[in-house]
This record gives sequence, C-alpha cells and structure tokens, in this order.
Amino acid sequence: MAVVGAEQIRIRQLIELRRGTIYVLAVGIFALIWMLPVVWTVVTSFRPEAALQRNLASLIPYPFTIENWTFILKSSQLWKWLGNSVFVSTTHTLAQLTICSLAAYAFARLDFYFKRPLYLLVLIGLMVPFEATFLPVYLLFSNLKLHNTLIALILPGIASSFAVFLLTQFFRGIPMELEEAAMMDGAGRFRIFLIVIIPLSTPVITALAIFTFLGNWNSYLWPIISATSSEVYTIVIGLRKLNQAWGDVNFYGRDMAAAIFTAMPIIIFFFVFQRRIISGIAINSGIK
Amino acid sequence: MSGISLGGLVEGALNSLEIFDPVVAPYRGFHEKLPPKMQQTFTAFMFILPFGILYAIFTILPIFQTFYISLHKWEIMGTNIRYIGLRNFERLITRDTQFHQAFEQTILFVALTIPIIFVGLFFALMLNRPVRGIGIFRTIFYLPNIMAVTVIGLIWARVFASSGRGLINAFLENFNAGPIPFLDQGNLATLVVSFTTLWWTVGFSMLIFLAGLQDISQALYDAAKVDGANRWQQFRHITIPGLRRPFAFLCILQVIASFQIFGQVDVMTGGGPAGNTRTIVYNIFETSFLYFQVGYGTAMAVIMFAVLLVISLLQLALFRDQGVGN
Repeated sequence: MAVVGAEQIRIRQLIELRRGTIYVLAVGIFALIWMLPVVWTVVTSFRPEAALQRNLASLIPYPFTIENWTFILKSSQLWKWLGNSVFVSTTHTLAQLTICSLAAYAFARLDFYFKRPLYLLVLIGLMVPFEATFLPVYLLFSNLKLHNTLIALILPGIASSFAVFLLTQFFRGIPMELEEAAMMDGAGRFRIFLIVIIPLSTPVITALAIFTFLGNWNSYLWPIISATSSEVYTIVIGLRKLNQAWGDVNFYGRDMAAAIFTAMPIIIFFFVFQRRIISGIAINSGIK
Repeated sequence: MSGISLGGLVEGALNSLEIFDPVVAPYRGFHEKLPPKMQQTFTAFMFILPFGILYAIFTILPIFQTFYISLHKWEIMGTNIRYIGLRNFERLITRDTQFHQAFEQTILFVALTIPIIFVGLFFALMLNRPVRGIGIFRTIFYLPNIMAVTVIGLIWARVFASSGRGLINAFLENFNAGPIPFLDQGNLATLVVSFTTLWWTVGFSMLIFLAGLQDISQALYDAAKVDGANRWQQFRHITIPGLRRPFAFLCILQVIASFQIFGQVDVMTGGGPAGNTRTIVYNIFETSFLYFQVGYGTAMAVIMFAVLLVISLLQLALFRDQGVGN
C-alpha cells in the first residue's frame, strides 16, 4: 500500500511538473509576441539602410551592420542630451526630497498655528494636475527669461504635494520615543530630523526618489514647451526632435538605434533598482 | 590621512546648519521667551519655508492665475491683453467645434483605455503562481511602463506606419496585401494610440493587482475549498471582492491619466489625421503655442480641470458607497 501511495505522489508530482512546464512555455511564447516590436527595433538598428529599403519586416539581422550604432554613439549631441537628463533629474530629485521631507517633518511632528489650513493647502495640490496649470508657469518662466535653461526643467514639480503627503504619513508612524530619547541628549529639531527621522525612513525615501527620478526623466509636456533650443534638450525630447528631423525614410536604422540609446539608461536603472521599484509601486500608490 | 574624516565633516555640517534650529540657535534667548506653541510655530515655519515658497510659486499661484488669464484675451508674448469676461468660455462651450471634437475624442480615449485595467488583471492572474522564473515575465510586462513616451511612441508609430515604411504593412506587402492606413484613418488611429497606451501602461495595473492578490489571505481559499467551492466560485467570491481596493484605485488613476493624454498623440499622430486624435491637452498645447492664444488655451484648461474634479469626486463617492477606499 505504502509503495502505491508513493508511486501516486510521484505521478502527481510529474503531472504538476509538466503542467508547470507547459504553463511557463505558454507564458513565454506570449511574452515573446508581446515584445516582438522591441525585438524588431533592436534587429532593425543592426541592419543597413539599403536592406531596410528592400524589406522592413525582417527579424534576421543579415546583412549586418554596426554603422547605425557607431553613428549614434559618436554623436556628441546625444551624449550631451543624456548628460542634461542625468543632471536635471538628479538635481530635481535631490531638491524635491530635501524640501519635501523638511516640510513633512513639520506637519508630522510639530504642533503649530495654521497647521491644519496649511496642510489642507498641500492636499489641494494633489487634485490639481500640472496639465491644468502649466500655462501660467510657462508665462512666469517667459517673464524671467528662464526658458531654454536647465533650471527651468528642474524647478517645476520640486515642491510636490504628493511627496509631502507621503512622507508626512510615514513620519507619523515613527515611534515618538526615539525622538524623545534624542531630545534628552540635547539634540535640536533639525538634528533629530537628520539623525533619527531620515535614517528610519530610508525605504519610503528611496521609493519616492526612484519614482520622482523616473517621472522627471520621462516628463514630456513641460520640456517640450520650455526647452526649444537643442542645447538644453533632455534625451527624451532630443529623440523626438531627431525623429522629426530624420523623418522615417532616410535614417530608419539610425533612428531605431537612437530610440534604444534613449531607453538604455532607464533599463539599466530598472535592473539596478528592480526590487525597490517593484515594492515601491505599492508604497507610492498608497496601497500599502 | 589628515585629521578630516567623513564623520567629522557630517558633524561640522550639522553644527553649522543648526543655526536654523531655534533650540540651539543664536537667537535662543528671544526664542525661549515665546510661549511653547509659538516656539514650535517658529520652528515649523523654518522647516516648511523652502517648500512653501516654491509651492506657492509653482502650484498655488498658478491656480489663481489660470482663472485670471482665462478671463482675458491674452497672447503668448504678454502682448495684446484685454479683459473679456466669460467670452472665452462662451465661445468654447457654444461655438468651438474643434474643442467639442477634442472633448469627445478625449472621452473616447478614456473609454478605450479602461480595458487596460482588465488586461492588467488578466496578466496578474496569469502570473500569480509560485513558479520559478515567473519574475522574468513580470519584469517583461512591466518594463515598458517606465520608458519615455517618445521611445514607446516611436516604436509603435513605426509598427503601424501607414505606408510600406511600417512593420505590419511591410509584412503584408510580402503577400501583396494592404496597406492598412493605420495612422491615416481617424478611427484606426484612435485605436492604435489606445493600443499603444495599453502596451505601455498595462504593467502598472498588473503589479498593483499582483500586490492586491498577495494581500488576500490564503486561509479564505482554504476555507472555501473545505466548503467545496470550485475555482470559479473561489474567484468570484474571494478574489474579486479582495481586489476591490486596487480596482477602485486603478479606475480613478486611469480615467485621470487618459483625460490628459498628450505625449502619445504628439509623438504618433500629431493630433491627426484631420484632428481625429486631437485631445483636450493637445488642443490646449496647439492653441497656446501654435496660435499663441494663451487666454483661450487657459480657458480650456479651466474646463478640463473642472471636469476632472467632478470625475474624481464622483468616483470617490461611488467607491465609498461600496465600502472601498476608506
């Protein structure tokens, strides 16, 4: 009897295993189809223009060329735009985290006059999309003659309601005792903020930093109206302008290489922060 | 090494910054004479000040300015400014057929992108299995979501390009079929942009649902199995109610996001063909930066803002009635 039982379990395990394999295979094929345009983009970037003129719909990179890529990688413009993006998004993120965490500390921990009305004012910002108010901001930068500068790409959105809201919620959850202990040791509010609150909030701050960075890096509406000179394009806007300039007839492969060049930093960024991005989505969405 | 260490530097920075901290600051004497709540107010304002200034300039003030400018004829260089009362709104609501078309088009995009949530749910259910290597697939489906709109738009505009310069039409050409005017025909272009949006953003819904699925207690399923519930019944009575919160959240987010569609349209169709994919934000953009009528564009923004506000309040009320989201 016992032998039969073991045999049955073994068979069941085999069936499970086979089911699992079929399942992974099916999902794999679906994922491949889903990503086919990406595969095609990569392949196309390695095909010479003449071959692309003959037949565009091919997944075989033969004849093979790296000419598109050497052109893209040698383009000082693209590297400059990449540099702009890195600088703008990093500065934007650091500035946002700094000023928003400071404000959030006050809302979470201090008892002061006008606290409720001020916090309400912050929450109002959650309901106002940038798309509804970007024209006055545009006019402001026009008056200050700040368009076509990197500052114009950094400033809007630094004072983020969402960041203050998220951080306030999180700071409130930090046990008061820790802070009181530091206060006993003679630490001031600012020191407490830096050595108690901030280190205890690393998970939420990292999540916020990652999504602020991504959001700013990918932003489109603001940079496309503010940055009109190629000196200050971000890589995202630069790709669009190249695409417009090259059209899709003459430099097809080159354009595809530029698209991958644009996507690459974010793909690397994703794989570096993968775990934090996946868990951060729940934090950032207020689901958890 | 010299005597300067990282710890020392940090300590020095802390000490110098504490000039802002009333507890140890030079103006301590003055500060201590104040009543405690006044002291805290003083400190709090110090903490809020940098945020407050920028928030006032870039969020609060523009809200009022938006309303103010919308009551004017206002050209982009700040020239030719004239108060015209509600005339912009009158023209928008009663006569501007282009705006009406853009409004309808936006509603259409909202309707066509709602299915993204259900596809996201499908993906989540598909990938919610403890199989080794499943993470790779989650990554694959999520990755497009963090790409810039220009990358996504460029790839899909190439896939669907109307002439032989697009992947699908080049493929069809081999069989002497097509070309299908994907981006040259209004309804098709709308579908193409919606599909691109699906491909781009479905990973987000998927991950939210996956997180939601993991929050449903396994004990509920075990209990249901004991009671003899089949898979469909388990799905219907445990999974679906368990996902109410993420579902409500995604609905609100999706509607608001689709109401502001701009990038995909600008990159893929430029509002065309014949204004068929022109959305509200695209219309605001065109009016303000192509025709330089900021006053008129701002009036459109006011209307969009009002509609969005009503929608989010409605949705909040609706979901609260069902006991979600509180």
